[in-house]
Amino acid sequence: MGLNDPQWGNKNSGGPPDLEEVMRNINKKIQSMFGGSGGGSSNQSGGTAGGGLGGAGLIVVIVALIWIGSGFYIVDASQRGVVLRFGKQVEVTEAGPRWHLPYPIETVEVVNLSQVRTVEVGYRENVKNKMLKESLMLTDDENIIDIQFAVQYFLKDPGEYLFNNRSPDENVRQSAETAIREVVGRSKMDFVLYEGREQVAAATTKLMQDILDKYKSGIVVSKVTMQNAQPPEQVQAAFDDAVKAGQDRERQKNEGQAYANDVVPKAKGAAARLMQEADGYKQSVIANAEGDASRFKQILVEYEKAPSVTRERMYIDMMQQILTSSSKVLIDQKTGNGSLLYLPLDKLIQSTNPTPLSESVPVTQAAKVAEQGLAPISEFAQPRTTGLGRDREAR
Amino acid sequence: MNQKMKNVLVGTIVALILVGMSAFVVDQRQTAIVFQLGEVVRVETTPGLKFKVPLVQNVRYFDSRILTFDAAEPERFITAEKKNVLVDSFVKWRIFDVKQYYISVGGDEARAQTRLMQTVNSAMREEFGKLTIHDVVSGKRDALMKVVQEKTDGDARKIGVEVLDVRLKRVDFPVEISDSVYRRMEAERKRVANELRATGNAESEKIRADADRQRQVILAQAYRDAQKIKGEGDARASALYAGAFGRNSEFYAFYRSLDAYKQTFKNKSDVMVLDPSSSFFKYLKSSNKGGGK
Repeated sequence: MGLNDPQWGNKNSGGPPDLEEVMRNINKKIQSMFGGSGGGSSNQSGGTAGGGLGGAGLIVVIVALIWIGSGFYIVDASQRGVVLRFGKQVEVTEAGPRWHLPYPIETVEVVNLSQVRTVEVGYRENVKNKMLKESLMLTDDENIIDIQFAVQYFLKDPGEYLFNNRSPDENVRQSAETAIREVVGRSKMDFVLYEGREQVAAATTKLMQDILDKYKSGIVVSKVTMQNAQPPEQVQAAFDDAVKAGQDRERQKNEGQAYANDVVPKAKGAAARLMQEADGYKQSVIANAEGDASRFKQILVEYEKAPSVTRERMYIDMMQQILTSSSKVLIDQKTGNGSLLYLPLDKLIQSTNPTPLSESVPVTQAAKVAEQGLAPISEFAQPRTTGLGRDREAR
Repeated sequence: MNQKMKNVLVGTIVALILVGMSAFVVDQRQTAIVFQLGEVVRVETTPGLKFKVPLVQNVRYFDSRILTFDAAEPERFITAEKKNVLVDSFVKWRIFDVKQYYISVGGDEARAQTRLMQTVNSAMREEFGKLTIHDVVSGKRDALMKVVQEKTDGDARKIGVEVLDVRLKRVDFPVEISDSVYRRMEAERKRVANELRATGNAESEKIRADADRQRQVILAQAYRDAQKIKGEGDARASALYAGAFGRNSEFYAFYRSLDAYKQTFKNKSDVMVLDPSSSFFKYLKSSNKGGGK
């Protein structure tokens, strides 16, 4: 056995750096032991054959130190350490460097407590990657809908989490599946699809928590997030169409409203125009009447001063005005000798009609037509009489 | 002295070996049965350091945690209205009486689960037969799970197992029925869509008709008011005329006639055939006083 060889101890002095302190102690002890065997003073063994026993003691000490050192562990801020003494939970340690009685007396299990964990139900990683087996479910009105959601949870009690269930994380998925189906099964399809998503998520969270608490799983469900709630692909088109129909309805209503907004103001405008026109008519009629009445009254005053003269004058004025502006034929019936006077009235009218204000009108052979002025009339003062048996005044 | 040391050393080693052989650890997650030559002598239900007689006694460990039995394939059940449904469920169970458990199923989890599955399925079959699909999916789901759990638990205790919970996951229709459900859903949506479009149309028509009515009423009322105003004007005018012309009705007739003649003969197309003997032309014939008549 070369155990008491000084080289052995020296070789060990370059041991693991994390045990520096320990090694220094060991070195000190080695030196004091060798000093003891050389100088005759030993505080360790004190035996006469100290060399052999001292070597064995040294090993024991080293082994013991390593053994004790194996009880050190570090708990991160997000973690908790659960210490088991002979398999029984004795304490839960907080963050920091910790030490437990070394194996086999105590063991430690470090659990990540505050980290938020996620379980996806109805899909994996991407919402498009559906798990139809998980996502399809029946509603209260016996329709089938397709739901994808994620559950976020964390641990509240590391002891419960570790010791009460064989597969605690699987519990979350199972409770999620059963809870959502129970909640959806109680709800109508439209509620789940449209207005009730939040309520469904909240009810699922609560139910899941009840189930997980029943299993004492040490898990807290923080949130159920609905990724997607929709009708199955087979009927998607019909649902889209129904949504479109809703839009169509709105559109039609708006179109109707647009028509109304066009027609009613226009009618109001037309009504206002009618009123204005009526008012205008009224004003004008009254004004005309006033004018006419006033004019008549004024003339009347003068007429009453000299009735016969005024009357004659007015008559002649009128005749002049009439004869000036109209075509006329002057026939002297006294010279009539019974011969027939041919008067082509239709031609006269025809010739004047197209150009009512024209200066010259062709003169027929049978009758001369004077256009205007009194001068021409004098020409016809003695018209050629071809004989017309009757005295005629035509209008 | 040296001999004494050796004795101590040997004694210690022997003691350690003996302790190692007789001590055993029951974990927080376990329970243990101590057997003595095949006979159950003790059940250790609490965790910690335990001792047994070396060599003659041995220990078997069992899981004390809650275990899950989750069938891989959904089971087919028939409801009260003779409809098929596929049901997926899971069972939460725990070894409750280790000794009984060991005796009944030999501590074999698979055997215990088979037994559980049979019990659960038969209990479910019975319950489903009493309920309609609607009950299962919605109304009586909770009650059904409770009943099945109680029934299964009662039976499971015979094999030392406690059934904590039986829960339904999927309750689905088989593919054939699913298809008809889809068709029904489609028809239903179509109905909703048609209804929406029809009501939209109706509402639009209503709005338009209302607008048309308003227009008609507005125009008619405006016409009425306009006529009233015009009538007022006419009345006013008549009164004025009557007031003025009534002063000398004979002169008015003359005056008005003259005006009417002027209005009547003002175009070239009005042809007058005149006799120069009329009084108007009396000076045309002669300048004598009294005319040529």
